[in-house]
Amino acid sequence: MTEPVIELAGVEKAFPFFRLSDIHLRLEAGQIMGFVGPNGAGKSTTIRLLMGMLRQDRGEIRVLGRSMPRDQAAAKRDIGFVSEDMRLYGGTTLAWHMRFVASVRPDWDPVYADLLLRRFNLHAGQAIKALSHGERVKATLLLALAHRPRLLLLDEPTTGLDPVARHEVLAELMDAVQDERRAILFSSHNTQDVEQISDAITFLDRGRIIESKDKETFLDSWRRVHLELPVSGAAPDLPGAVDTTVSGRTAVITTRTYTPDVHGACERTGAVIRDVQRMTLEEIFVATVMSNRRRQDA
Amino acid sequence: MSGSMVPRLVLKDLYLTRWMVAGSMAGGVVGIAMLPFGAVAAYVGGVSLLCTLVILNITVVMSAVVQERKDKVLLFVLSLPVSAAQQTQAKALATTIAFVVPWLLLTAAAAVVIEASGVPNGILPFLVTVLVYLLAYHWVLLAVALVTESNSWPATVITVGNISVNFLIPYLLGWPSVYRHMKGSAAIWTSDLLALIGVELLVGIVALGLAIVWRTRRPDVI
Repeated sequence: MTEPVIELAGVEKAFPFFRLSDIHLRLEAGQIMGFVGPNGAGKSTTIRLLMGMLRQDRGEIRVLGRSMPRDQAAAKRDIGFVSEDMRLYGGTTLAWHMRFVASVRPDWDPVYADLLLRRFNLHAGQAIKALSHGERVKATLLLALAHRPRLLLLDEPTTGLDPVARHEVLAELMDAVQDERRAILFSSHNTQDVEQISDAITFLDRGRIIESKDKETFLDSWRRVHLELPVSGAAPDLPGAVDTTVSGRTAVITTRTYTPDVHGACERTGAVIRDVQRMTLEEIFVATVMSNRRRQDA
Repeated sequence: MSGSMVPRLVLKDLYLTRWMVAGSMAGGVVGIAMLPFGAVAAYVGGVSLLCTLVILNITVVMSAVVQERKDKVLLFVLSLPVSAAQQTQAKALATTIAFVVPWLLLTAAAAVVIEASGVPNGILPFLVTVLVYLLAYHWVLLAVALVTESNSWPATVITVGNISVNFLIPYLLGWPSVYRHMKGSAAIWTSDLLALIGVELLVGIVALGLAIVWRTRRPDVI
């Protein structure tokens, strides 16, 4: 079995008003993992721990087989990192940045860099301070991709992008991971982007991982079941139910462990299933976060 | 590879500060050129030289350290194969070079002009003491910029540093070892002036050294 690209075991990091607790996470080569959470959930903190920019209070972090933050310089040779709030030197050009990054990254591929320039419709001679937000994000992505890193850590890279720029960025990420040795950890609170490109998804809320599965398992196991209840009956207690809304003789039950057995369980209570709806990743995300918060607050 | 990162980061910062350095060199040369042309011109030239170095100090430290962090460009630098310790060493080295090289060249040029012109050589120890004070001020400002996350501490150091130069000059002019020899033809390096220069250098070097050690050992870089 090959070593995972990312492995976090029991990682904790405390700040005065926020705590990242008991983080366990694995990312294998060839995977794109969507790291989804509301604002302030701890996505950026986790990614900065992976980059060695922060030091964990407890637990072990291994990235590309190296211990972080101790071996960060060596590990970062094979990491491309882009953050939504990352900026470049405003008084220079993209060409200057490309030359500078090429000078510190022996694996820099100038042909691929030129290809990315064209695909992203960027001009190397353009001053950084004259770039729009979308162009700046694409420029940082170009600088992160052109040395063909084995791991891409992307912290909300699509935030604030227009639909066309978002499409260009996501398409390039999909293309980058065609190489099966590569992996991407992609944080976002935009579930559409995550659903589009990820094959594994981790939900984070209030500094804790609350779910981590492959995307298909997520989408296949969550359902919203619409029921017509018997005259004097209560809503059935379905396995994995995270939310039940009853209005008169109609009930809507959201379950995280849907199987065809649910039909039998409903029929035994006299309830009639009117509809079973698949849920979008956004609906699953919201339901997961809300049920987790209800459980925490109870 | 990792060993070559520090020089590359230093070269990057020197490139980014090149216009500040060039501008200060030009301003300093103009100030020094005024020294031989009478008392008023010497006063204006000397003040111009000091102001030029103060401005260079502030612009270099604020742009290379404080602004880089504030603008989140530091995130880009730390995305490269560099450790926090290497980044700190490179930043301290680049900023020191960007200030010390012009400082050294301008100090040497001022000494040569004073020596070669009719300006009394007795002024040289006083001028060097003030210039070394500016060097210490640079290292203290750089140290504070390296260790603090906020902009207010560097701003406080700048305010105190700038005001203190205005107190240092009249204070030094009140020293018998300064005013007795100032108009003399020979530069007299008295022990109290040499001791003050030593203290200035010590304060600057210790402040920067402590800042580098502290920042290198800090668990969180961002």
